[in-house]
Amino acid sequence: MEFSQFIQNLMNGLAIGSVYAIFALGYTLVFSILGIINFAHGAVFTLGAYFTYTLVVGQFENNGLLKGINLFPNGSPLSGHPLTFAFATLIGAILAGLVAVLIERLAFRPMRSRGADPLLALVSSLGVALVIVNLIQLLVGAEIYNFPSDAYGSTPPALSFTLGGKIVIIRTVQVIIFAVSLVMLVILGYVIGRTKIGKALRAVAENPTTASLLGISVDRFIVITFFLSGFLGGLAGTLVGTAFGVAGPYFGVVYGLKGLAVIVLGGLGSIPGAVLGGLVIGLAEAFVPAQYSAYKDAVAFALLFVILLVRPQGLLGRSAIQKV
Amino acid sequence: MTDFLATYGFLLVTMIQAGLLGLSLYFPLQAGQLSLASPGFYALGGYTAAIMLTNPALSGLRDSLGNGIFPLTWLVAALLAGVLGLAVGIPALRLRGIYLALATIAFVEILRVISLNLTITGGAIGIFGIPQPFGIADRWQYVFIFGPLLILALLFARQLERSRVGRGLRAIREDELAADAMGVPPTQYKVLAFVIGAVLAGIVGAMSAPLLSSWNARQGTFDASIATLAFVLIGGSRNIWGPVVGGALLTAVPEVLRFLADWRLVINGLVLVVASLYLPQGIVGALERLGRPRPPQRPAPVQPAEVKP
Repeated sequence: MEFSQFIQNLMNGLAIGSVYAIFALGYTLVFSILGIINFAHGAVFTLGAYFTYTLVVGQFENNGLLKGINLFPNGSPLSGHPLTFAFATLIGAILAGLVAVLIERLAFRPMRSRGADPLLALVSSLGVALVIVNLIQLLVGAEIYNFPSDAYGSTPPALSFTLGGKIVIIRTVQVIIFAVSLVMLVILGYVIGRTKIGKALRAVAENPTTASLLGISVDRFIVITFFLSGFLGGLAGTLVGTAFGVAGPYFGVVYGLKGLAVIVLGGLGSIPGAVLGGLVIGLAEAFVPAQYSAYKDAVAFALLFVILLVRPQGLLGRSAIQKV
Repeated sequence: MTDFLATYGFLLVTMIQAGLLGLSLYFPLQAGQLSLASPGFYALGGYTAAIMLTNPALSGLRDSLGNGIFPLTWLVAALLAGVLGLAVGIPALRLRGIYLALATIAFVEILRVISLNLTITGGAIGIFGIPQPFGIADRWQYVFIFGPLLILALLFARQLERSRVGRGLRAIREDELAADAMGVPPTQYKVLAFVIGAVLAGIVGAMSAPLLSSWNARQGTFDASIATLAFVLIGGSRNIWGPVVGGALLTAVPEVLRFLADWRLVINGLVLVVASLYLPQGIVGALERLGRPRPPQRPAPVQPAEVKP
């Protein structure tokens, strides 16, 4: 591989890997607190992208029940300007976070209070995913929606330079994705590592019973966790959507599965693990040679399978002492 | 009757088929192993049958065997699924709980991507024009193929449960360490249960390829894994009837809700949520509890008479 190609792959891999990382963080946060995998996370990812799209454009032209309805008759207040697009992204992510809280309230909490089998939580979250995905399809149709070109999707390349006679192009959207993800990671790392809320969250993750005996409201922190999880998932949805277009209601399904590979690779429940796992899988996919690109979607799962056999606790996970 | 079969015959067949797939996942679950690999083996079985029934290179074999080719496809599919199940099962069954579930999801996805890209599996388009066995003209007649398999599988499951192996599997489910200490070899038994499930899913796949008359990578997906898991959990995971009832019901729900048109898939999701919330033992588990005599209740404590000041 030529050096210029190497740099290009590296940049592509870092951009997509950082989105995988923040998306997977949402999974791993919930897992570390509740010990369950929320399979509706991929649907929340899709929702985040659609929320942002709705705020920016305000109408859906294809089929679906919302066809022809214009939410902002005089043009969306949030369109046409990169800064307001960023604002819409933020609100979209917050809305996704609220949906995640709602999911917790309706599908997980009743089960938790009854002490049901965690496997059933899995089925219930899948049911939720099915509801969300099909509601989206009903409302706005199954078509691909692209963010308007004056959002930062198709601005000129941030950087292009020649290296050994080959042009390396780094798209603005890649830089933004990478930067936003990095900022999110730093903020989240600070909140969890340094603040009182973070300390309480870690206590709940360690042992909910002891934490509640120490006066921490476990239910409240579960709600906070779900909000953070949904926020990160929704944000990831918009970021990927700006790069590739929102590919219909099933947009999040592939990411949902890859997110699983990411968190297991890094170590279930480990926050640095999710980041490392995201970057590893993003880079591994970017470096798949062009002639094998059809197998790209299998890379994450091949890595997952290998790591489970070699080191089941993941790269940065602790091996849980488990009485079988 | 013929009207009924013409309308609902295919549904009936797919209900039995779903019950069989649920059973294939039930075997490893009996040993407490949550495996989501069934759709992978189902897809493998289907591809095996589809290739054997359509590939021009095998036309000589088909001509000489006639209808005998169909049982042969079941046999080959069972064999291949068994071998692959052994190859995947031995390393994967070192994992427990959610890790095993994720490993098997990865296995299904890898198989899917591979089958999407090979020439022999027809790539993304898949394989078309799979012939019908034994001169079947109407699809409801597949009841005569899937029905006996279901009866056989149920009989086998019942005999297994009553056997030494079955008791060993349940012992592993309850407490693997204790089972090991009592002389039940956990790894061998778990792999055995996994391979049994794989073989059953493989045969169901081989029988389903002619039923659908085409086969492609959509047959073995993550969605299918989840659907199969839902069959078992909603039906009840502690009784052989659970997966069958769950599979049959969950397959029927979208059809029964057809009058809801576009909303039926949304309702389908809600059914999953509500059922997992309110039927934690599954439908069969709940029925069992209804049939069982109530445990003796402690008499309610006598309320102290209200003392008026």
